[in-house]
Amino acid sequence: MESFCEKYKLPIWAAAAVILLGLPLLGLSQYLIRIFIMIGIYSMLALGLNLLTGYTGQVSLGHAGFFAIGAYVSSLMSINLGCSFIISFIAGALITALCGFLLGLPTMRLSGSYLTIVTLGFGEIVKMVLLNWTDVTNGPMGLKNIPKPNLFGLDLTLANNGLYYLMLLLVLLVSAVCVVLIRSKTGRAFIAIKDDELAATMMGIHTSRFKILSFAFSAGIAGLAGAFYAPVIGFIDPNTFVFDVSTLIISIVILGGMGTMRGMYLGAAILIAFPEVARFLMDWRFVVYGLVLVVMMRFRPQGLLGWKSQMPYKLPKLTRIALEERKAQRAAEA
Amino acid sequence: MVIRKCVMRRIGTDDQIGKMKKFLSITLAMSMMLAAMAGCGNASAPVSSQASGGAAATEPAAPAAGDPVRIAVAAPMTGDNAEYGIGFYNAATLMAEKWNAQGGVLGRQIEIVQYDDKNSSEEAASIAQKIVSDGTIAGVIGHFASGVCMVAAPVYQENQIIEISPSSSHPDYSGIGDYIFRNNTVINVEASASLDIAINDLGKKNIGIIAIQTDWGQNTASIVEELIAGEYGESGATIVAREDVMEGSDDYSPAITKLDAAGADVVICCGMYSLVGPVAKQYKQVNPDISIVAFSNAYSQQLIELGGEAVNGVRFPVIFFSGSEDPVIKEYVETYTAQFGSEPSALTSQAYDSTGMLLEAIKAAGATDSAAVKDELYKLNYPGVTGDTQFDEIGDVHKAFVKVEIQDGKFVELT
Amino acid sequence: MLRSSRISTVTTVVIQQLFNGLALGMAYALIAVGYSLVFGILRLTNFSHGSIYAFGAHMAVSFAGFQFGLFFAIVLAIILTGILDILVDKAALAPLRKKNSMPIASLITTIGISQIIQNLLTIFYGSQRRSFPALFDFGMISIGSIQIHSTQLMMCVVSLILLLVLTTIIEKTKIGLAMRATEQNTKAANLMGINVNFVISVTFFLTGASAAIAGSLISGYYQIVYPTMGFMAGLKAFAAAILGGIGSLPGAVIGGLVVGVSESLGATFLGSTYRDSIAFIILIIVLIVRPTGLFGKKAITKV
Repeated sequence: MESFCEKYKLPIWAAAAVILLGLPLLGLSQYLIRIFIMIGIYSMLALGLNLLTGYTGQVSLGHAGFFAIGAYVSSLMSINLGCSFIISFIAGALITALCGFLLGLPTMRLSGSYLTIVTLGFGEIVKMVLLNWTDVTNGPMGLKNIPKPNLFGLDLTLANNGLYYLMLLLVLLVSAVCVVLIRSKTGRAFIAIKDDELAATMMGIHTSRFKILSFAFSAGIAGLAGAFYAPVIGFIDPNTFVFDVSTLIISIVILGGMGTMRGMYLGAAILIAFPEVARFLMDWRFVVYGLVLVVMMRFRPQGLLGWKSQMPYKLPKLTRIALEERKAQRAAEA
Repeated sequence: MVIRKCVMRRIGTDDQIGKMKKFLSITLAMSMMLAAMAGCGNASAPVSSQASGGAAATEPAAPAAGDPVRIAVAAPMTGDNAEYGIGFYNAATLMAEKWNAQGGVLGRQIEIVQYDDKNSSEEAASIAQKIVSDGTIAGVIGHFASGVCMVAAPVYQENQIIEISPSSSHPDYSGIGDYIFRNNTVINVEASASLDIAINDLGKKNIGIIAIQTDWGQNTASIVEELIAGEYGESGATIVAREDVMEGSDDYSPAITKLDAAGADVVICCGMYSLVGPVAKQYKQVNPDISIVAFSNAYSQQLIELGGEAVNGVRFPVIFFSGSEDPVIKEYVETYTAQFGSEPSALTSQAYDSTGMLLEAIKAAGATDSAAVKDELYKLNYPGVTGDTQFDEIGDVHKAFVKVEIQDGKFVELT
Repeated sequence: MLRSSRISTVTTVVIQQLFNGLALGMAYALIAVGYSLVFGILRLTNFSHGSIYAFGAHMAVSFAGFQFGLFFAIVLAIILTGILDILVDKAALAPLRKKNSMPIASLITTIGISQIIQNLLTIFYGSQRRSFPALFDFGMISIGSIQIHSTQLMMCVVSLILLLVLTTIIEKTKIGLAMRATEQNTKAANLMGINVNFVISVTFFLTGASAAIAGSLISGYYQIVYPTMGFMAGLKAFAAAILGGIGSLPGAVIGGLVVGVSESLGATFLGSTYRDSIAFIILIIVLIVRPTGLFGKKAITKV
């Protein structure tokens, strides 16, 4: 299976792209399209958390908080200031990233369980602030009539599939950011911190600086997901962003496979679609969620799609060119 | 999967096991995905009442031609607020049974279809979309929490499906559109009734308010404050303190200490039974003479179970009183209790009436066409178990209140 | 009782809240002890502890329905909850230790277990709040204008006794010695002939038992039980455990008291709606100033 996937990587991705682009043309019901959009949103959230948990090794149980900040910031901007969705999305992502940066500051001194509880507390505090800061957030009444994204005078809705394509675009954007980040020097620093923080410090990596950076990126992505989520749903209140959301996001990351990107899409697809098909399970559904976590950890902690990509190590481009040149030089000398 | 792995461990070499394990996991994932997609595609087959063992559908096949009239009950059936959703479903089933026994509506049998929104906005949005996509649903009874209703209602309005919520209390809910109704009283009228009890019946002047931090609790508390400043301004009553508390925290002693220090002699509790019960208990430890006035949504048998002796003397206005001598209500309460093992609460009874009204409107319209049924709903004057009900121009109801007091662990109607 | 003892000044309100907070803090301390016990030995944050606590309270209320008295019902609940916690460890956590999994694997496993237990409780008991028989209800005790309820007082007394018993077990008995040895160095303890698996089982039993006691006491105080009762209480108790320095029993008590008192006072001055976040705000501040908590030992990083 793995070798199959690695071998036909390009055709598989191409087929996936064609299917995803063509899906709405099949005349699916709005209900199905909405589920696909939710899968997209949770893929983004999982990709964001994956940067932090999968690559940098810091567990966050407060991502619902970032999700909420992004949703509230962008909704407030579009409702009160009438900003275009592009601006409010960017603002939502940036302000959330700033919050992530601030939350990341304690990581200079904390790690492991301590950090986890701080993020968990952060999630609860965000909810509490949204509930009590009535003048701005409208408190328990929530925000309603959140305008749909408007592109050149056209409202993007479920019915005209605009939201679906916007979702695809955002997922693509987030995935691209993740790929670029992970393959860069920064990404290698993240992975080094995850593998062995002490060794990473010895190698001259400023571990806390990179941990904070990871927090900021992770939060920013969650904020973007939130900014997109708000207009899709149309109404948000503090009860939308409870601890269960944080648990769901981390479950997706675990199920898909920490430190892989493909796992996030699959994890989101399974966990979001599962309750839709598992209605016959009724109450037992939540029990099954728990079982999934326990069984995965016991038998396949690396996640469903968590195998190592067998890419040979490539030297950076400039080094390669320099080597080639030297080789050519030597050949000429000889 | 676990068992298969164990078997394989015996037959394969390490390498093979590794590969097969991975292969298995992937296959499992794929099959789950496929199953998920298949299930989603099959949107027109939700959990029907047959599957849930509901009584409505156990009736033999409809005598008349045509499919049954399908009414959706969308509310939390699992999770934290399942008690309310299941109550809605029970009530709707009971009403459908009553109609079915008399030949159904328009000569067709009635089928109640259950949808579980888990009390989550996200779920509710999917559910609403599912109901709308289904195409055979004549109307929706439900959505329980206000926030959830606010998400679902625009979807129904956009697709012209009638939604009657027995519980929504968000001030902007019924204004969403002409297909959106609520069979829950407007807070102003109810708040006025509560104040009437506190000021005129109990003769108290120093009013303390304790309100839960939800849209309903906050809105109600604010309206009570406005009423004291306006309508009840001449009675000499004042608000000595208002305390907002989190819904579902069990320890209310900080709020109670503050209310007591402010010298309240009556406390108006803006919350469900889960607030009134503990507040009564904890307040009476501090001040045994305190009077407590609550609202109709605290009216539930669970209040007495939870509050015990402490809730004796708690008064509130209700639109539905299960101990009533009215033969219609008596029969309803008896049937409900016999069938489901507990007395119906006020919200459950509102769901019962909502179903009745929807059916009545369908009958009057002579079709299940939403636009016609909607017009009939506005015209309808329905004598239900929760009082005579008539929707106003935006789809809200105004009802008369009965005052109830808890005496010796029983609800007693005050006359 | 006449209203002559009406609290009127700010000082008395504060003192009254202080007592409310102390009772609340003792409750948190009892739950926090469970986190500390497990963390001490396994270096594991046991997120399932909150739902184990809810399980204990539900067992107590179910057995109280039978005819052999509340005390017996609570004892039965304590034993059952202890056994459940051992089972949780044997079924889900022990295999992970055997495999030397990453710490995050155990952490996530406990989140999963928490989900399972809490939702099984919802399935079998329903989501509504049920009433719990009152414990130690002898009415109010008035000191000047301050009123303390007998349940509050008894809660402090019982909690202190239980914490003393636990400390004695850990400090004075043979199994306690083995626990401390395991805590310091599992491998070495094993070499010394200590049955580490047995020690871990005993720890989990004590954890479960303390959760059941906490569950019964706190439910007896508020006279309410419901399946999700362990969530917030568990989180705050965890905050308390970390605040005091996780792994230290006196730390858990101090942490619990700090959280309880500041929550009560915070609710008075900031408003009740902020109370749930107060524990976390204090926690974050303390952790930034002193990452190991008030009483925690500084972990030595070996190079």
